[in-house]
Amino acid sequence: MMMQMMQQLIPAGLATELIYSFVIILCSLLIYYSTKEIYKLSSYKGLKYFREAFFFFALVYFFKSFIRFFIFFLGRKEIFEIASSLGNLSLFIFIYASSIAVFYLVYSVMYKKWNHEKTIIPTLHITAVIIALISMITRSSRIILGIEIILFISLTIITFISHKNTKKPNNLRFIYLLILIFFFLNIIDLITPNFRAFQIFIYLFSIAIFIGILYKVLRKVGG
Amino acid sequence: MRKRNKLEIIKDILEIIQFYHNSIKPTPLLRKSNLSSTRFKEYYNEMLEKEFITETQSKSGKCIHMTDKGNMFLEKYQTIINFIDEFEL
Repeated sequence: MMMQMMQQLIPAGLATELIYSFVIILCSLLIYYSTKEIYKLSSYKGLKYFREAFFFFALVYFFKSFIRFFIFFLGRKEIFEIASSLGNLSLFIFIYASSIAVFYLVYSVMYKKWNHEKTIIPTLHITAVIIALISMITRSSRIILGIEIILFISLTIITFISHKNTKKPNNLRFIYLLILIFFFLNIIDLITPNFRAFQIFIYLFSIAIFIGILYKVLRKVGG
Repeated sequence: MRKRNKLEIIKDILEIIQFYHNSIKPTPLLRKSNLSSTRFKEYYNEMLEKEFITETQSKSGKCIHMTDKGNMFLEKYQTIINFIDEFEL
């Protein structure tokens, strides 16, 4: 009886989305808080941006499920059909936080090579704001898709070129690449309704990646 | 000689203080840290700011001591390094 009532209130698709977002938010916040002590002691910049990337990931997935709930609540098909200021603000924060999360993750592994922190960080924020504004003004999934694809390709190329001479064998770059791929797929999943056939696949792989990173983090910090 | 990074230098300075039973004067600390006086001052001020070390003044002059936070840094140093290494930060 209770289950039936719940199913009427929250359809299976939305419930899956909420559970999925909850797992990712939990993993991201656990990564953020479990590294707090070693960051406080070391004040290491790479660690700072690594942690903040996961904080922004948590924010992104919170807004993703919020937008999904909002779309469901208003009975719309996609975010662009919501003309209210709350819809616009949610989309703006979602796109801005998505870009910053990815920028910070890339910067955490690149900051030794990119020394100009005082100019790079504001530039990254300005770029994220511009991307979010373009998304909000154009309200076109094709334009957002185009921007995200360009961003993804550029970041992947930059990171791989910069680390191609690293002799140390490490599968981490592959994991970061998977994060980027699935993170962008998550954005596409939200802005393109036709993409939802791949949802379960995206959700399962995203969860596996975040749990894998959380496991690595907890093992290293002794949590 | 291999160039030490910032975290390694802080660890080395704290280990010197620890080796001298948690009390050492600034001049021998500077000498044993293998740093120029300018760089030593930078690290010294940073460690004071982070509360890894404290200063006391006695009749015989200024003495440097390691705090609990400094001790915690030494305990966690390997964890921090392993983490940075593992995640290529």
